[in-house]
Amino acid sequence: MLIKIFLFFSIIFSSFTVGESLYEFDSIEDEKRFYTLIKEIRCPKCTSGSLASSNAPVSEDIKSKIIQLIKEGKSDKEIKEFLSDRFGNQVLYNPGFSKDTYFLWFAPGLFLMLILLFFFFRKRT
Amino acid sequence: MTIFIRFIIISTALMFFTFFYLYINDDKYYPGADFTTSNMPDFEIKDLYSERVFSVKDLDGSYLINVWASWCITCRIEHSFLAKLESNNIPIIGLNYKDEKDDAINWITKFGDPYKYIIHDYKGELALDLGVTGAPETFLLNDGKIIVHYRGEVNDMIWNDVFKPVIMKENIFNAN
Repeated sequence: MLIKIFLFFSIIFSSFTVGESLYEFDSIEDEKRFYTLIKEIRCPKCTSGSLASSNAPVSEDIKSKIIQLIKEGKSDKEIKEFLSDRFGNQVLYNPGFSKDTYFLWFAPGLFLMLILLFFFFRKRT
Repeated sequence: MTIFIRFIIISTALMFFTFFYLYINDDKYYPGADFTTSNMPDFEIKDLYSERVFSVKDLDGSYLINVWASWCITCRIEHSFLAKLESNNIPIIGLNYKDEKDDAINWITKFGDPYKYIIHDYKGELALDLGVTGAPETFLLNDGKIIVHYRGEVNDMIWNDVFKPVIMKENIFNAN
């Protein structure tokens, strides 16, 4: 009988532990922003994995920091800047256009042009 | 025209070869080293042993800041090199990272204290502001500016190849 009572209460209360969210947000929009951001930011400790995929201590710290910055009303751009200032450009999966990354952005177009030129001249001969 | 095409193909191949040859043979390239200059972030953190609070104002001059923890195995290996630096009169500030106070004090008592003082960053707040990803990491600080950030163990090789050139250039630590 005691076991039955124990089981009854454990089933009732188990819903409270399961239902509790890991992080707390002011609104659903904030929560959505958080989950989008952590997919776009790389875990600085991992070879290549997003924050969302990582449980490394530093990733947990960064996630808490992102929540804090969201609550302070910072924009996605400001949050990304905050992190790239500290951990370098490599934390962003989609790096911005800068003097270090211009080749990265232009190279595909450049190669396409070269290949097109190559075919253009080849047909004439 | 065929000469032009041949030229393009051969020069592209040569370019790739040169690029990878230089890249592979670059012994002085350290992926853990970051030479971007940045300001030392503001902080207020207690001393490991006392209630004294340290802030960025206590960091006038040139220092090494070494991020360590008692749970960090590599820090144990690095420790003897830090002792060597200390004996060469290089001031090192310890940043105890996400560590229990007792564990940290026991560790220092056991292995020796090469630090000028140790600040206890239990939650890793300053570490996050510094861009620390783990331990050990070492920063070279000059007049409130971070001029070198090295992720990983500092040893003779890293000291000579990463830190020393900057120290000589900036003429700090009496260019030791």
